[in-house]
Amino acid sequence: MNQYILRKLGWALLTVAFVVVLNFFLFRILPGDPARAVKDPRLTQQSIEALQRRFGLDRPLHVQFFFYVGNLLRGELGTSFHQQRPVTTILAESLMNTLLLIGAGTVFSILIGIALGVLAAWKSQTVVDYGILIGSLVAWAAPTFWFGIILLFWGSSHLGLPIGGKLTIGANYAGWWERWLDIGRHMFLPTLTYTIIYAGQYTLFMRSAVLEIFSEDYILTAKAKGLRSMQIVRDHALRNAMLPTVTVVALNLGFTVAGAIEIETVFSWPGLGQAIIDAVDRQDYPVLQGAFLLLAISVICANLIADLLYSYLDPRVRVG
Amino acid sequence: MKSNVRRWFATLSGLLVVWILAACASTPTTAPAGEPAATETTTNGAVTLRVGWPGSPDTLNPGTGVLTEAYTVYNLVYDTLYRLQFDGTFSLDAAESVETSADGKTWTFKIRQGMQFHDGQPLTAKDVAFSLNLYKTHEDFPFLNFYTVYFESIEAPDDNTVVLTLTEAIPSLESQLLALYILPEHIWSYYAEGNATTEFENAEMIGSGPFILKEYEQNAFVHLVANKEHTRTPPKIDELIFQTFGNEDALVQALVTGQVDMITEMPNTAVPVLRRTDNVEVVSGPPLSPSVRDIIINQLAPENCPPDDGKCTGHPALLDRNVRLALAHATDKQNIIDVAMLGLAQSGLTLVASGQAYWYNDTLQDYAFDIAQANQILDDAGYLDRDGDGIREMPDGSRPLLFRLQWPTDIPEAPRIAEILGQTWAQIGVKTEPQAQDPDALTAVCCPAFDFDILIWGWSWGPDPNDPLGVMRTDQIPTGSSETGYASSEFDALYDQQAIELDRAKRRDLVFQMQELVFTDVVYIIPYYQDLVQAYRTDRFTGWITDAPTLALEDPSVLTTVEPVR
Repeated sequence: MNQYILRKLGWALLTVAFVVVLNFFLFRILPGDPARAVKDPRLTQQSIEALQRRFGLDRPLHVQFFFYVGNLLRGELGTSFHQQRPVTTILAESLMNTLLLIGAGTVFSILIGIALGVLAAWKSQTVVDYGILIGSLVAWAAPTFWFGIILLFWGSSHLGLPIGGKLTIGANYAGWWERWLDIGRHMFLPTLTYTIIYAGQYTLFMRSAVLEIFSEDYILTAKAKGLRSMQIVRDHALRNAMLPTVTVVALNLGFTVAGAIEIETVFSWPGLGQAIIDAVDRQDYPVLQGAFLLLAISVICANLIADLLYSYLDPRVRVG
Repeated sequence: MKSNVRRWFATLSGLLVVWILAACASTPTTAPAGEPAATETTTNGAVTLRVGWPGSPDTLNPGTGVLTEAYTVYNLVYDTLYRLQFDGTFSLDAAESVETSADGKTWTFKIRQGMQFHDGQPLTAKDVAFSLNLYKTHEDFPFLNFYTVYFESIEAPDDNTVVLTLTEAIPSLESQLLALYILPEHIWSYYAEGNATTEFENAEMIGSGPFILKEYEQNAFVHLVANKEHTRTPPKIDELIFQTFGNEDALVQALVTGQVDMITEMPNTAVPVLRRTDNVEVVSGPPLSPSVRDIIINQLAPENCPPDDGKCTGHPALLDRNVRLALAHATDKQNIIDVAMLGLAQSGLTLVASGQAYWYNDTLQDYAFDIAQANQILDDAGYLDRDGDGIREMPDGSRPLLFRLQWPTDIPEAPRIAEILGQTWAQIGVKTEPQAQDPDALTAVCCPAFDFDILIWGWSWGPDPNDPLGVMRTDQIPTGSSETGYASSEFDALYDQQAIELDRAKRRDLVFQMQELVFTDVVYIIPYYQDLVQAYRTDRFTGWITDAPTLALEDPSVLTTVEPVR
């Protein structure tokens, strides 16, 4: 077991090291120059050169690379070229907002996805099954930004929900609960969008996994023993059917840190997705490097967790 | 274990239901469309104006700011020596008077008395001199250093007097001083040297302008409160909030539902809907900073190819004025305006925009959209379709008139413009290869590489004609400012003359001559000058300035005059 975990950890660390190197060179082979990121007659040649000096872009590439790695080893991600703030501060602020949104969305989409998936499998070939199947397919296939805009128009017009941001700016709150209620109102529509789209995906995975399990001999045995349907699902089918769903959830978790870009854009949620788009627009290398490193680590960690969970859910994985 | 799972499941499901009920049952903070709303106030009773915009200031440090939104906030929080009026003229602001020496090189400003910074410290001439010197010494300020090019020295002999000495007399000093914000020396002197200046976040943002910074969150909002002690223009509202929206559809919906009182931008497609919405007024007109859409023609002569960065792969036919003239005659500007801009633009002539009213040469007669005439010009110049494939060839038959036509992906209407150009130019035997490019990638092929044939791009200018004319100077070819590679000694000489002509009328004559020259040489084809379209709710605030020659509802002159509907 320990050897299994150590092997997985080793691979994870190696991947992070590879990402660190790739991260640095990837952005620098793109055309353009952060010091020329704007087209403006006021940006003189002297200013461009002064900016290149300030950003350290006048140094040879390998020197820049060693500075970057050196800073990274000290836990520093540098200072944003354009916001003049430490990258760690920028990423921490936006990551918290993203995690809040994604966290709620993930929990609800897993709950709803598992419940609907099991229900559809249990009521297989009935109106309930067909209804859930079609609904899930539509939810999963709908473009996120389109679906988000529809919900935004509906929610703001008919429910009076806020259109953008995390809080009502300038509001004075009587207490922490009022503040969180306000955050909850702002989070509602983006979380709903996220939940519906991902719940559709989880429902489909869960449904097919449970259906597959239902055809196993031990389910037939359970039925022969006279167990109630609910008991069969709960005690025999659910845990075995969780394996493929755990894979998808774990993989999604890694990618969702970046995958919320569209939802954050539609609902003006000040999260990591927005920060990345801004940094790409401005060729803000330090922010991009930091953000991509964070994304890579989150994907790697999610995979690692999935591997470890696998070994818990299905002990055969450890041996294999 | 199993009962635990069930409990968790039940708790979370319950939480979801409670959340749905709470979110939907809470009283909406704003009124739906069509219903008159009470003036938006915070719970402390302050009159708060909410502005929705699609961006966010990149930094609160004026030295390093780049984005328009940043400059909007600087204009509200800081004072300057001059302010720009909507008719394009300048008025003294922090200075109460100015005297100019006979040679035009020495400008002596008397600073108004009684002004103070938001932290209560007095604003004196020393702060003005300190600020101008700071901008002058920092070449790594991307924009503001540019305005100090002609500054030789700035001194404050006493608390009320600033003496600015120039290296040479220039006619556009007022426009140079517009964005040179007065910073408090007692704060910035600690950050005046080296990287400390550019690394200074300026989170407190102490200025002396009509608004005081209360809170700022990148990509989310800027919260300002009124400086009721402002000596010239104390705002009539109490608070001002700029809220960032990630997409323009949400911005429009925020206005319709009354969640904001004004929006600074919107897609043109939203205009008809907003015009039909109750309690919403849509206004359009030339922006305070004129916005030009240009068709850039690479006409760089091989001998001018920049030695270090130049690739210079432009099509040789574009060096011929006849070809450029034919393209101009085959450009249906009105159709472009109607289709791509839904009519919200003015037909263009040169880079100097109609919004720069005094300097705009409206005596020029635009090239008529005339396919037959365009064909005739190319026929006469020897560009014939010898192989009958519908595309003309060079007079020596060496190359077809096949031009790469590129544009940056951040101009949403550019694909439609390219399509219309492709259609009408095809009628004169010119074929285009359209291609959208990332703006950075386009910068890399544009200038000073000159690795293109024709680009669709644009500019936004200040009020002075120096900027639009300056980018066409020969000496700007290697710097990357010149996009066309245009080289004319006559134009360069006129530029130098106008740059130091102090007589406004005489300078205008020179500027007019320059416009005529580049128009005749068909350096650019200018399809249109873009109108700014803004909208506000009429049931909340009144006093918006919408009848001026230029439009900017987020300008201090408007935001200090609007007041709540009583």
